[in-house]
Amino acid sequence: MNVSAADSFHDDIDRKPLLRIERLGVRYGSHWALRDFDLDVHRGDMVGIIGPNGGGKSTLFKAILGLVAPTSGRVIKSSEALRIGYVPQHLTYDTSFPITVGEFLTVNHPGRFFWCGGVGRKQKREITDTLERLHVADLLGQRLGTLSGGQFQRILVAAALLQKPELLLLDEPSASVDRRGSDDLRDILKEIHHATSLSVLFVSHDLHFVSHLAKKVCCLNQTCCAEGAPETVLTGHLLAQTYGTAGKPWPGLQPAEPLPR
Amino acid sequence: MNLSEIWSYEFIRYALISACILGPTCALLGVYVTLRGMAFFSDSLAHSAVTGVALGFLLEEKTGLAIDPMLIVLVFSVCLASLMAWLFHRTTLRPDTVIAFSFTGSVAFGVIIIAWLQKYRLLDGILFGSIYANGPEDIVRQAILALVVCGFLFLQMRPLTLSTLNPELAQTRGIRTGWLNYAFAILIAATVVVSLRMLGVLLLSALIVIPPAAAKLVSNSFAALMLVSAVIGLAAPFCGVVASCQLDLPTGPTIVLANVSLLILCYAVSLFMGNRTLLRGGRKE
Repeated sequence: MNVSAADSFHDDIDRKPLLRIERLGVRYGSHWALRDFDLDVHRGDMVGIIGPNGGGKSTLFKAILGLVAPTSGRVIKSSEALRIGYVPQHLTYDTSFPITVGEFLTVNHPGRFFWCGGVGRKQKREITDTLERLHVADLLGQRLGTLSGGQFQRILVAAALLQKPELLLLDEPSASVDRRGSDDLRDILKEIHHATSLSVLFVSHDLHFVSHLAKKVCCLNQTCCAEGAPETVLTGHLLAQTYGTAGKPWPGLQPAEPLPR
Repeated sequence: MNLSEIWSYEFIRYALISACILGPTCALLGVYVTLRGMAFFSDSLAHSAVTGVALGFLLEEKTGLAIDPMLIVLVFSVCLASLMAWLFHRTTLRPDTVIAFSFTGSVAFGVIIIAWLQKYRLLDGILFGSIYANGPEDIVRQAILALVVCGFLFLQMRPLTLSTLNPELAQTRGIRTGWLNYAFAILIAATVVVSLRMLGVLLLSALIVIPPAAAKLVSNSFAALMLVSAVIGLAAPFCGVVASCQLDLPTGPTIVLANVSLLILCYAVSLFMGNRTLLRGGRKE
């Protein structure tokens, strides 16, 4: 393969999306949760999805994860073995379940045996490194049920990162944390994204969080209402259209005024 | 009677060996049974054994076929466990509702068969068990069960733990929770059937539920929970058999009381350790 052919080959790989969603539709009974939705996520992308409650954001994630079958359209992954890390918005669990953070992360570790909390040396190193990266290394031996909302959120992110994902899906990562915690989490995600070129697709209601983290924003209300750079999409006019409040002023925003970054 | 005297009797020796095999096995399985809120499920499978035994006798009387009653109880319990697991996942009925009608329905059916056959004396053995009736064949059967249960827990501990904590999270990690739930329900059925001779229908769930419940009071990690649960599962039946021999008490109830005593001891320890938070809890979102 000559140099130009090699360059072209690598360009093709770079251009090929990691995840392509084509005219995706998901129907629950007679209600369409998602309809004719298109989205491409490339390697290294940081895509934020915003939209009203019931707009199909969680359904989109479920379809990507294969937890719901598309009624129409399809989800195309770059390979069958595409590793996806998923951080749920809420995790309902019994807080009296006596399991430590270390044990929780071990059972989340892919393809590993887990015997009575036994952790191999290499595995333990990986878990410690991930927790250090998220600035919560001191929580390793703490019981899961005793963590605060913000700490637990980071542990869920750590559990997802331990899957060594190519694509990270975050469902409302800033929902259970205060502004300070949200800013910290945003900085950590930026740091990880820069260091690993990880593709990230996240859903959030927090427009401040989205405007500071996403490189591309998609407005979703059953279908894609707008898509583009945050400064072009996060405007009063488009937000009002997405949230179905057209004609009313978007709180704190003038029409066509981008959110401060 | 001292320990060496107790050991010199063959039937007590078999009872002690049986207690040492089944106690920890039921306790380890019980960790997941209690964490998944399936205590009533195992109890209902134990009660369904009444129907299994009755069906065995009905088959023998009407066809002349002498099939091992344990085999018929096992087949019946596995079928019932699979049916309940299927109803949990395929209908909108709540698990406790499914368990309640399966449990009462199967017991009623069993009692009608027993009444029809006029074999009321059967009920005594089924309800209270008889650990001293264990022979070498039973010990082999129990050892095989222990190997299967421990093997399953060892190989499936990661998916089983994650799906117990949160089934949806487990699915996103590629774990096939449906298959796992069926396998787990069948394993509970097999454990209940093989352990029936030890405590009988009425007391068997104590062997599965009390050791992990006691262990949970003093454990701050999953490793500790498994270890303490297995130790209590070993100690309580052993102490129960010895105490029943020395004090001339019925063995099954003595084993259950030994379990309850250890539960109270664990509670006292948790209070002493200032570990009261373990007694609270609930679902967290």
